[in-house]
Amino acid sequence: MHAVKRQMIMLIIGTLVLLASSVCFGTGIPDKININVIQKYYAGVEFNHASHINSLKDCGLCHHHTTGAQVSDPNCARCHKNSGAQPVVSCKGCHNADPFSPESLKEQRDQQPPVYHRDKPGLKAAYHMSCLGCHQKMGGPTGCEDCHKRNEKGDELFRAGKFAPKTPAKPKKSHH
Amino acid sequence: MIERRDFLKGCLACGVTAASIGVASNDALAAGSFEGYPDAMGVLVDLTRCVGCRSCEAACNNEQKLPEPDLRFDDTSVFEEKRRTTDKAYTVVNKYQVANKETLFRKIQCNHCTEPACLSSCFVNAYTKTKEGAVIYKASVCVGCRNCMIACPFNIPAYSYSSPLKPLVKKCIFCYDTRLKEGRPPACVEICPQQVMTFGRRADLVKLGHDRIQANPAKYVDKLYGEKAVGGTSWMYLSSVDFGQVGMDAHIQNEPIIANVKDFLGFVPMVLAIWPALFTGIHLLATKNKDGHHDHEGGDHQ
Amino acid sequence: MKLFMARNPNTEIVDSLRKDNDRGRRWTLMEKIFLGLTPKQYMSQAISNPLNWVFAIIFLIGFPVLIGRYIFGLSWVVGDPYDNAWGLFLGFGLFGMVPLSSSGFQLGSAVEVFGRHDLEPLERLGILNGILGYFFAVMFLMVDLGQPWRLPYPMIVSWGPEAVLFLVAWHVATYLSVQAAETSTSFFEWMGWPAGKTFIKKMALGLAVSGIILSTLHQGALGALSCYAPGKIHPLWYSASFQWLYFFVSSLPGGLCMVIVVSTIVIKTMDWRCDDNYKNNLNKLQITLARGACYGLLTYFVIRLIGVAHDNKWAYLATGWGAWWLFEIGFGVILALILLTTGVRNNNITLIRLGAWVTIIGVVLNRLNVYMFTFNWQNGHVHVPPLKEIIITATVYSVYIVTYRAILYRWPILFQWKTKYSDYGVLEPQPAEQKKSH
Repeated sequence: MHAVKRQMIMLIIGTLVLLASSVCFGTGIPDKININVIQKYYAGVEFNHASHINSLKDCGLCHHHTTGAQVSDPNCARCHKNSGAQPVVSCKGCHNADPFSPESLKEQRDQQPPVYHRDKPGLKAAYHMSCLGCHQKMGGPTGCEDCHKRNEKGDELFRAGKFAPKTPAKPKKSHH
Repeated sequence: MIERRDFLKGCLACGVTAASIGVASNDALAAGSFEGYPDAMGVLVDLTRCVGCRSCEAACNNEQKLPEPDLRFDDTSVFEEKRRTTDKAYTVVNKYQVANKETLFRKIQCNHCTEPACLSSCFVNAYTKTKEGAVIYKASVCVGCRNCMIACPFNIPAYSYSSPLKPLVKKCIFCYDTRLKEGRPPACVEICPQQVMTFGRRADLVKLGHDRIQANPAKYVDKLYGEKAVGGTSWMYLSSVDFGQVGMDAHIQNEPIIANVKDFLGFVPMVLAIWPALFTGIHLLATKNKDGHHDHEGGDHQ
Repeated sequence: MKLFMARNPNTEIVDSLRKDNDRGRRWTLMEKIFLGLTPKQYMSQAISNPLNWVFAIIFLIGFPVLIGRYIFGLSWVVGDPYDNAWGLFLGFGLFGMVPLSSSGFQLGSAVEVFGRHDLEPLERLGILNGILGYFFAVMFLMVDLGQPWRLPYPMIVSWGPEAVLFLVAWHVATYLSVQAAETSTSFFEWMGWPAGKTFIKKMALGLAVSGIILSTLHQGALGALSCYAPGKIHPLWYSASFQWLYFFVSSLPGGLCMVIVVSTIVIKTMDWRCDDNYKNNLNKLQITLARGACYGLLTYFVIRLIGVAHDNKWAYLATGWGAWWLFEIGFGVILALILLTTGVRNNNITLIRLGAWVTIIGVVLNRLNVYMFTFNWQNGHVHVPPLKEIIITATVYSVYIVTYRAILYRWPILFQWKTKYSDYGVLEPQPAEQKKSH
């Protein structure tokens, strides 16, 4: 009985939070988001934000603490239990598109105190780990080209399509 | 009895040989324990993140201008067998089906040891450990003895056996020429969609690796592979299963490979110093009061 | 040649600077090369020797393959053995031949340093066996190296002094020179250059002692090389503490037994070339060498066992590799020891010769096991060299045998060079005599 009651309360709070954030940001929540961090090799992705909101309900799954949602990771909760909604919620607002450039590395090293968010993935990894991790659990598409079609440059890199190896694949030599 | 003159000649001959070989040992002994360059870069590989997309293989092929592969880089049939690095592929991804666990993938490439076995076994000093952390290779002096391939504890260096005139050792060089020198991450790290590889100062990555284990002790085995293995490697690994289950040598020694031959190399100066006097002395004892050398030829001496 | 000598027992074979008849004129170089026979006679004896036909077939197949290796690259011969970078060329040609060539320093030092002049009839054979073994180990290296024309690089272009192989390279190069000097005495006698011989003789002791130093170190170094690959060589064949000792100690009986084997082949196939000093002393000397080999083998056996006990590797004996190890030790060491000791004790020369064969096979098998068969054993397969690699190895080894035989036929190794007509007083032949030789 008790558990059901708690779940009910959680659901109500969740809905309220969702409503509150909708109210707070008003038209700020986009229905579609264009993601194109790897457009060098792949077509951009038109991410259907609205349908993901509808099916997941929990913003914190992707947006961590930034939307003011309850965070489940105890490590995050130490600081962000009640830190409320943040002015920046977009992925690229926090996740660095070029996490290993000399500048980014320096910035990270110079961070004071050198404790928080030290292991923050870059933007591309943030997308992939978040999307792919969830898709694997929920049965969403997981193949590379299920989400983004490879462009010609990508085909060239992967030696696929018209760049496929001309020579027929040799009988496999065992290199042990 | 030998004449004094002959004795001196003998000593001189030994001395010259001694001088010529003495070099062999001194440097090796002086090598001591090298902790690595302070600002050397490294890569932390988190095996739990890899999805086996082979983008790193494609990027490596492109960056290093390697020959066309046998199969497309999005062909997953390559996972049917365990591959190793070759002269045409400096990095390969293998698939490991671990019992009762999820499938794991592991990317293989040069681990860029702090005290590389390839370097210390090379008799023409073709390898260099740069201050940026890369182990690079100087093709212009390589004789092709392939001792580095024998010595590498990770079986990384390959050889372009098929080239009749200019066969060379081929291995990952951390994209030293094109990227690392300028402080940029290697091509495989940059293209990885899952950030399986985290690029940074090795010293920082050691901490980061342990932090990640500490933050998620249920997920990872409590070991940062490469932190200590063979004296430390620039590329280090985190895994959710024992490293032996993903084809890594779980019993690898912590001492650098050169430590294994130090005993022998230390023995060299001793032999050089003691043997000449010892055996000349024995000669004097053995031949005292006996006839000197019989000449080999007979003929009309008889 | 043996057949020819049986048919023409009165032929004069070159064994001194001057002919017996023809007013004692000097042999010309051509005559010396043809052993004093006419070219026609020489060819006929060569053709009648069945062994030459065997070599002819080997060379006919082998040389094209050898040339192909340089035209089409190593992969044409050996494939892509990334995990077994050292195959038959080095496993047999370098690691197998060098221990069997330790006879050079052993006999050299026994005679020159320890004053064992009773061993003199075999001294030159021992030293020749040494230099040829090393020289052909280098030849095998020239086949195996990716860029053999860079062989001098570790000496002159780029030094890697912390590498064991650097030490090996310098030692083998230096030791080859030492042995070349030691062997040159026979060559100088044959050519009639006494000054060269006198010069070398003065350095004999120095050369012998440097032989000991260089041999101790590089025989051991060949073993120490495997310490670079501790996880790759099967634990039964690897011991961090004893590896260089295994190689050094086993090279001692290896070299001695190689001399027993070669001197036996010589007495059986070219007794016409051996003088009485050699023939009469051979059995006695072979027993002496065998006695030395017994001590070496026994020591080797003990340290191999200590090696296993030291790291507590007994459990491996119950595996398939353990059985192979037991075979190597049982055949190459224990059987060899039994044959040699029984032979020495009963003055049974047949047993000794058999034991010597077993010993050298055992030593070579050990080297192949370390560097080829057990290498990367954890990959779960045994590296078997491809056919072309075997063909080239057989070809180079046949060249070794042919060279060995050619030198034994000519230079005073098995016989004492006769000095006549005060050769050493009259260095210049009479002009009149020289004309006659045309």
